[in-house]
Amino acid sequence: MPSPSMERSTRHEVSIQHRAGPLDLNVQFVLDAPWTALFAPSGAGKTSILRIIAGLDRPNHGLIVFRSNRPPQPPTEVVYLDTVANIHMPPHKRAVRMVAQRPALFPHLNVLENVIYRMPSMVKNGEEMHSNEQHLEAVLQLCRITHLTSKMPSQLSGGERQRVALARTIAVGPSRLLMLDEPFTGLESDLRDHLIRDLRLWCERTGTPVLLVTHDIGEVFAAEAQVLKMHSGRIIASGPAEEVLAAERTRLIQRLQS
Amino acid sequence: MDSQALWLTLRLAATTTMILLIVAIPLAWWISSGRGVVRAIVQGIFALPLVLPPTVIGFYLLVGLGPLTIPGRVILNLLGHPLAFSFAGLVVGSVLYSVPFAIMPLVAGFQAIGPEYVEAASLLGASPVRSFFDITLPLARPAVLSATVLVFLHTVGEFGVVLMLGGNIPGTTQTLSIALFDQVEDGNYAAANNTALLLMAIAVIGLGLVYGRRPWRPIA
Repeated sequence: MPSPSMERSTRHEVSIQHRAGPLDLNVQFVLDAPWTALFAPSGAGKTSILRIIAGLDRPNHGLIVFRSNRPPQPPTEVVYLDTVANIHMPPHKRAVRMVAQRPALFPHLNVLENVIYRMPSMVKNGEEMHSNEQHLEAVLQLCRITHLTSKMPSQLSGGERQRVALARTIAVGPSRLLMLDEPFTGLESDLRDHLIRDLRLWCERTGTPVLLVTHDIGEVFAAEAQVLKMHSGRIIASGPAEEVLAAERTRLIQRLQS
Repeated sequence: MDSQALWLTLRLAATTTMILLIVAIPLAWWISSGRGVVRAIVQGIFALPLVLPPTVIGFYLLVGLGPLTIPGRVILNLLGHPLAFSFAGLVVGSVLYSVPFAIMPLVAGFQAIGPEYVEAASLLGASPVRSFFDITLPLARPAVLSATVLVFLHTVGEFGVVLMLGGNIPGTTQTLSIALFDQVEDGNYAAANNTALLLMAIAVIGLGLVYGRRPWRPIA
């Protein structure tokens, strides 16, 4: 069932060639689904791809272009990276958000201060402030951290930290791409599935495409994601989860049954 | 006790500390935010006062700021008097002499902050300058405090540079450590004892500020 936000189309065209130490990356793909899962064993170069898309690392060769066609706005094209033309847009200008695998919460700020960092101002008067308060409230609820707001990062468990990092990332507001680097590892599977479901609705409403990095097949199916399957620096298959990960799924089910 | 020398010493140390913090914080940030030959050379140059005899710094400044050189003549024309043997001259000498004590803790402090915090801030849309003030500087607070206290104490205790550059003019260039030297020369050991105790107290209180403080609890 296509919702209105899905008709508005955005796409990221990514092409990266990069060698660093044991890593040999050579990938071309397009992100145009609401959710795309980059599925690969550890060490396949997933995190490197995310860091390059975010602008934190520069590849040897690469071209990353964002195109958006959201009527009534005119179509736009933003080049994040073009090593041939020597273009490298700094991360803070890309409007690409990422929740890193190890959440780097600011240790000198409490949970609430972390979440509202770079969030649209809370101090303005009138309607805007009210809507921002509602936005904040919704973010805290989505990530199930309402009860943690006054704690310091050092007082949180690993799973709580990951949820705060997620909240901080989506609180900032609309972005061109939300990248999640194994953000649900260590979360209890019930909580994880609820969180993914709520996040899916949230991103659908705001029209934010998601790139999810994982090696957990359950997350891929919970997110109903398009899958890019990677192995040692290459994309070896892509398509709907049911097709691309059919073998893995069967294996998993067999293992659970035995 | 020599309150004139005490006041002068504190004024010199406070001025030096303020100037050095303003100069050293951006400089240390730049040094710590990358690698390369230029950064290494700059860091080396600013470590030089650590190993140079203070009298050498004082001597070069005395000559360099005097009427024999072009910068000296420019200053002479601007101020109407040479920088040497004045309070301003002492400040210049102290700043140069204490610069490593500001740069070193700050560089170490900035380098100790993992890159992930600034990266996280940049992914939230914060420019490098923004994240410096929001994240790096607050996280480096212990280092800033160390730099402040060390520069202050080091300036309070300096002797060679002050003697070469400032001479020994009560109220203008006679600091506590010079006064102490004078008192001993005069055989006035009671006064010298008081001055020494005062200098000792300043040093102990300052170090107490640095070491009596807990750093941020790291995230395990």
